[in-house]
Amino acid sequence: MATDTQANGPNRIISMVLVAPSLLMIALLFLYPLGFSVVSAFAESGSWGLANFYKAYQFYSRDILFTIVIVLISTALVGLFAIAIGGYLTLGENPRAVAILRWLYRWPLFIPFIVSAQLMRTFLAKNGMMNNVLIELGLLDQLQSVSFLDWRGIVVTFVWKQTPFVALLVAGAMAALDRTTIEAARNLGASRLRILIEIIIPQIATTLMVGLILTYVVIMSVLSVPLMINAQSPTMLTVDMAFRINSYGDYGVANALGIISYLITGIVAWFYLRQGLDNGGSPK
Amino acid sequence: MKYLTIPLALAGAISLNVQVTAAETILNVASGGSENMVQYVTDYLGPMFEKQNPGVKVRVIGTGPGDAGTQKIIEKLEAQKNAGKETWDIDVAVGNQQKTAELVNMGLLKSYRAKISTGSLATRDTSKMALGVNVDGYVMPMFHSQTAIAYNSDLVATPPGSYDELRAWALKNPKAFGYNGIKNGMSGVSFVVGWMYAYAGDAAKLQNGPYDENTKGNWDGALSNLKAFNENITFTPGNAGTLDMLNRGEIAMGPVWVDMFYSWQADGRIPPNLKLKLISPGMPGQPYYYSIPAKAANSDLAMKFIELATSPKVQAEGIVNRFNWYPGIDAMHVEKSLDPMVWKKLFTDVTPDELAANGKPFPIAPYFSDIKEAYELKVSN
Repeated sequence: MATDTQANGPNRIISMVLVAPSLLMIALLFLYPLGFSVVSAFAESGSWGLANFYKAYQFYSRDILFTIVIVLISTALVGLFAIAIGGYLTLGENPRAVAILRWLYRWPLFIPFIVSAQLMRTFLAKNGMMNNVLIELGLLDQLQSVSFLDWRGIVVTFVWKQTPFVALLVAGAMAALDRTTIEAARNLGASRLRILIEIIIPQIATTLMVGLILTYVVIMSVLSVPLMINAQSPTMLTVDMAFRINSYGDYGVANALGIISYLITGIVAWFYLRQGLDNGGSPK
Repeated sequence: MKYLTIPLALAGAISLNVQVTAAETILNVASGGSENMVQYVTDYLGPMFEKQNPGVKVRVIGTGPGDAGTQKIIEKLEAQKNAGKETWDIDVAVGNQQKTAELVNMGLLKSYRAKISTGSLATRDTSKMALGVNVDGYVMPMFHSQTAIAYNSDLVATPPGSYDELRAWALKNPKAFGYNGIKNGMSGVSFVVGWMYAYAGDAAKLQNGPYDENTKGNWDGALSNLKAFNENITFTPGNAGTLDMLNRGEIAMGPVWVDMFYSWQADGRIPPNLKLKLISPGMPGQPYYYSIPAKAANSDLAMKFIELATSPKVQAEGIVNRFNWYPGIDAMHVEKSLDPMVWKKLFTDVTPDELAANGKPFPIAPYFSDIKEAYELKVSN
């Protein structure tokens, strides 16, 4: 049978050869540097130890906590908005509003992080565009205006930038649902909110989780946004890593911070893989 | 140029072929500075050099500002050295003090100053020592730059003249002073270094050494005062961020680079009512250096390039007049080639006497790292 010849014989060698280039790329460009940074994090003048980690904790404990909090808040908000957008696209009754939303919501997807950060820098500043518009409209007094260029600015930028990505996945999954369950619930008189929460979300939960995990990992790795928006301390770990290297040429502590970020993302990666295995196959 | 030479070469004339090879000599200039330093070479110095040396093309690589920019040059050269390359592909490196000193210590640079005709025009201490490291012979200063406090003269009638007065002013005007911390550009670092010169005791030792690692034990008072000061001010996102916030009226005062300040004012990006004050006991400034990697592929051409760049005429027209930097070579050589009006413009807010009294160098490298680490440990975490 066809499957037998694919599993054994010469085809197996061919498939190995076909996989080799990408495997080699991963080994060279990811595994080798990863090993290198792990070694450098634990090495200290000739011997092994945790000095770099101790220093990372001593100097940046607040930043580690800050990073975790920012990433969690941002991811949660991204999930909320993505569900709201996906839900309206699926259940919305005004076709014109649905069409406009469908056209609009993807835009931030095509804007790089650094450009979003620059946009927000002028938009969220104390005398920036947002506050000026609010003052012009008489909704805000000049003296009350505050700058959002701190942790709130980071969260706003991340949510604005990442929501379309998750919304795209979620809306796709919602559109693919069997509509009979929705119609049945509607016939029995369920409100749209209830349909969304009790019928739709449970069915697309896997897709939502995957989108959120990818968002979480992406946010952990962004340097430009905290660097451009938040000059204060505490700040995010990526900024500290860049500073350790650029200012002190200190790769040891920078790599220790890197490993701490690996651990923070490693936890969700573990959930991601486990979810896939529970579903009886490779992770989606 | 390329489009013209290719068909000509195809015509097969040997003499033309020679011309083609000559046209392909590329002088690689790596600039570890801000955007304006890259523009200086692409828009001004590069075309001038290409005109004087037919067949040479100047290619500039901007590696970004601050320590990070020059760090990239170090990494590139070190990698080429470790790979055992015979020639390296950076011909001229433009770097800041701390990292250029590291390049010298690592043996990655060539001693060239004695071999160029303009070598004797730079006699300031900065052309011999960089943050406590002897760089004599390896560098020519491209320009000198200085930090100072910019303030909105509509809101602040009499600007503070010292760190003490500044602290009192900031206490009375909460959130009206702004700076960018130490992770976001050198103007903030300068403000912190100036603070340490004022309050950490023995500023001369920080600037000249000798290094004693126990010194940092005496800084707790200065640092806890700085932490208290930070409670009452606004943090800005970067060197440009401070100028942006001054422009939008969100802060009334903050540390800036003098050259950036004048350039932005000339472009209309900040209003004319912003003025500068170099407060006592002083704030740091720094030169940027031209250097030549030890195995630069075109080192003779590189020397010619630096010779042009540090000639009095170019220093006057390019560095002072167009880009508002203080000259790299000694001022007396430059002043002669310059319209007195232009010279005066450079010293409108900060007079030459103030500059001499309050323009300080950055600390020697080990103290500099200690100050930044102490700030991270005791002020921000």
